[in-house]
Amino acid sequence: MSYLEIDNASIGFGPYDNRTEVLTDVNLSVEENEFVAIVGFSGAGKSTLISLLAGLIQPDKGEIRIGGKIITEPSPRLGIMFQNYSLLPWLTVFENVALAVKQVFPKYSKEELKEHVEKYVGMVNLLPALGKKPSELSGGMRQRASLARTLSMKPEVLLLDEPLSALDALTRAVIQDEIINIWESDKRTIVMITNDVDEAVLMADRIVPLTMGPAATLDDAFPVDLPRPRNRTTLNTNPAFRRLRNDISKYMVNLNDEAKALQASQAVVELPSIMPIDFSVLPLKPARGRRRAVIAKVVDRETTFFK
Amino acid sequence: MAEKTADAIKYKILRFLDVTGFTVFDPIVRLAFREEPKKQLESIFKFLIIPIMFICFCVWVWWTVAPNHKTKSGEVPTPDVVMQSARINHTFSEREKTKETDFLLVGEERLAALAAVEAEMESKSVILAELEARLAQHESNYAQVLEARLAPLQKELDEVKAKYDAIEAEKKVLITEAAAAIEAGTGTTEALLAAIRAEGIAKDESRAAESIIKDKIDAIRSDKYKPLETARLDVNAVADQIQFLKKRVDFLSQSNRSMKVLEAEETLMEYQAKLAKATTAKAALSEAKRVVRAEDSIERLEKQQYASAMTVYLQVKRSIFTVFVGFVVAAIIAIPVGILCGLSRIAMACLTPIISIFKPVSPVVWLLIFQIVVGAFFPDPESHPFFLFFNSLPFIGNLGINPALIFSGCTVAMCAVWPALVNTALGVASIDKDHINVARVLRLNFWERLTKIIIPSAMPLIFAGLRISLGVGWMVLIAAEALSSSDGLGKFVWDEYQNGSSFSFANIIYACFVVGIIGFCLDRMMIVLQRFVSFDESGTSL
Repeated sequence: MSYLEIDNASIGFGPYDNRTEVLTDVNLSVEENEFVAIVGFSGAGKSTLISLLAGLIQPDKGEIRIGGKIITEPSPRLGIMFQNYSLLPWLTVFENVALAVKQVFPKYSKEELKEHVEKYVGMVNLLPALGKKPSELSGGMRQRASLARTLSMKPEVLLLDEPLSALDALTRAVIQDEIINIWESDKRTIVMITNDVDEAVLMADRIVPLTMGPAATLDDAFPVDLPRPRNRTTLNTNPAFRRLRNDISKYMVNLNDEAKALQASQAVVELPSIMPIDFSVLPLKPARGRRRAVIAKVVDRETTFFK
Repeated sequence: MAEKTADAIKYKILRFLDVTGFTVFDPIVRLAFREEPKKQLESIFKFLIIPIMFICFCVWVWWTVAPNHKTKSGEVPTPDVVMQSARINHTFSEREKTKETDFLLVGEERLAALAAVEAEMESKSVILAELEARLAQHESNYAQVLEARLAPLQKELDEVKAKYDAIEAEKKVLITEAAAAIEAGTGTTEALLAAIRAEGIAKDESRAAESIIKDKIDAIRSDKYKPLETARLDVNAVADQIQFLKKRVDFLSQSNRSMKVLEAEETLMEYQAKLAKATTAKAALSEAKRVVRAEDSIERLEKQQYASAMTVYLQVKRSIFTVFVGFVVAAIIAIPVGILCGLSRIAMACLTPIISIFKPVSPVVWLLIFQIVVGAFFPDPESHPFFLFFNSLPFIGNLGINPALIFSGCTVAMCAVWPALVNTALGVASIDKDHINVARVLRLNFWERLTKIIIPSAMPLIFAGLRISLGVGWMVLIAAEALSSSDGLGKFVWDEYQNGSSFSFANIIYACFVVGIIGFCLDRMMIVLQRFVSFDESGTSL
């Protein structure tokens, strides 16, 4: 028996005569200390799935278990980190984290509380902003504060609901690394929801695709057996990584009805591997005659070199 | 380092201006700290000079348009008359204060003050005599000038009268002749009618000619002769001061509290002496009763306070107190009920009909209802312990708390409760779903949810509601006071409207500005509070 299990759970919304099934017969088992990423299109029911896991909503059918115990309400064993930070804007970073800590460790003295909060805020490198309100923070800092709040409750399972989708690419990379570091140094189970395949491949041990809604379900998992630590820059040229990414992308694209319709008329084509050309080696003026041949050679070399 | 502290001071001032909503003055502060002077001067011109010029233009329009409209209470007052009425009101209140101190002065101080006042009165009397002489001079001078200006017109009038009298006499003769001709059988009725009509025309002409001249005479008579006017005003001013000094003398001598007590003590001693001498039981009894009564009256006199007349500042104080009583009652009701409505849809459903029906009811109706209801609670307000208690408190004791204040306050509360209630309910009901999820994930209990999540999150809207409530309350209060004759600015306006002195109209306009400025200050106060409780940095509308 696995550590965290979803057993044939289904859920839908609306009255019986106009019901939308969001998730049907979802099955998932997560081992202890495993990092699972769930990938799906927007609107597929990803957030509903994480709310189910967190105990915020109950399945119509089936059950969700952690360590064999059925989840019926939010529990301190499961820490959820919301997509849009969900920090309380009238409290400072410290107070936001302290509010959570007080709930889980009500017996802490003032000093213990302060120490505990500072430890987790420090873990996400946010100590300088301890006394600031969320409105004074950037998106990345808010997400860090949210992460610190979730971590500070010492949950056994971290549920991350598209934690990085609202961030810019650079901040996203930094926080991805932070999450991986924390996970590696302080082993715990993570279920992360994302719509970014690269992110999933980079971070997770296993990637589970969520099929298109309505009545979405989880399909067979793609195991990611890339060695850790995974380096973002070298990974790009790693054939295993690229194959996996292509496989998952293809699978996801196939889920999309529109894409299916598009592909029905064509033969299934290999996705081209496109690399940018270094145009600084090319002359600025339009080339003619002999120089054109030289350029053609350069371009050819550039394109073939990366194949 | 010095630069840094200067910057810190600058940003503190700017922050203050931002919180209080006076961002208009930003460029002045920045200019004072030499930050981009050109840009600051430009925005000073755009957002300060031009608005000031516009205000000046408005005042100019008022100044020129107002005197053209004649009303039953005189001309519409111009700004200078309103300023003067403000000054008069101020002097009045200053004098009331002086009289109060005079009333309470004791011993040496009293005698010194009395001597000073009497000396001042003497010197003022001399000045008054001089001024009166000057006035008489001006009057006789002006009478001559007037005579000289009027004489030719008068002559002209007499001439015109004589001329038309002659014409009318002529016409009358013609009528008699025409009538005689009919009798004689030589004339026609047409001729007689024509003669009568001609007389009528002649009369009209004479009246028109006379009225032209009379108008000219009236215009000259109503002309204001500046030196005479000023002389008259000077005399009035000094006479007024002497009147006031006489009052002061009174309060420093006979009407002074210590003097009254002294007098009463003498009477008491007299009664005590009589009581000692009394031989019969009946005499002893009656004297003893007198002694006791005299002792009581001394006790009362010793505690007596000066009964100040209602100055405009006292009215303002009382109005502000009343509006706060009403506002606090409204807030105490509105916030909990609003939170309940926001939390529970059942409560909302229960209260929606009540809110919808009573919200649009006019304050006048509420005032009458509360007047009846509150009146029933206090059949004898003079000796009711509730009022005795409040009127013995410091600071608010001199406001004269009475049933009128209570029901004015209730009316304010009744009208101010709705905006706060509706906004609170809205604030609580529209709480971010994410925050509710946070509360659920953190497994906060009901009380923690309420205090840590719901109330802080609804705070900006609650305060926005309270701000509207206070504004509504202030508007309602003035009307309520005017209608209920509860002392305050409303009554001040109403009294001025009723008594119709030469300054009444100006006083009403003065009161209009006072009400407006206080309303503005109250609103600003609420804006500042709202800014302090708002967690988002968005500004509030002005």
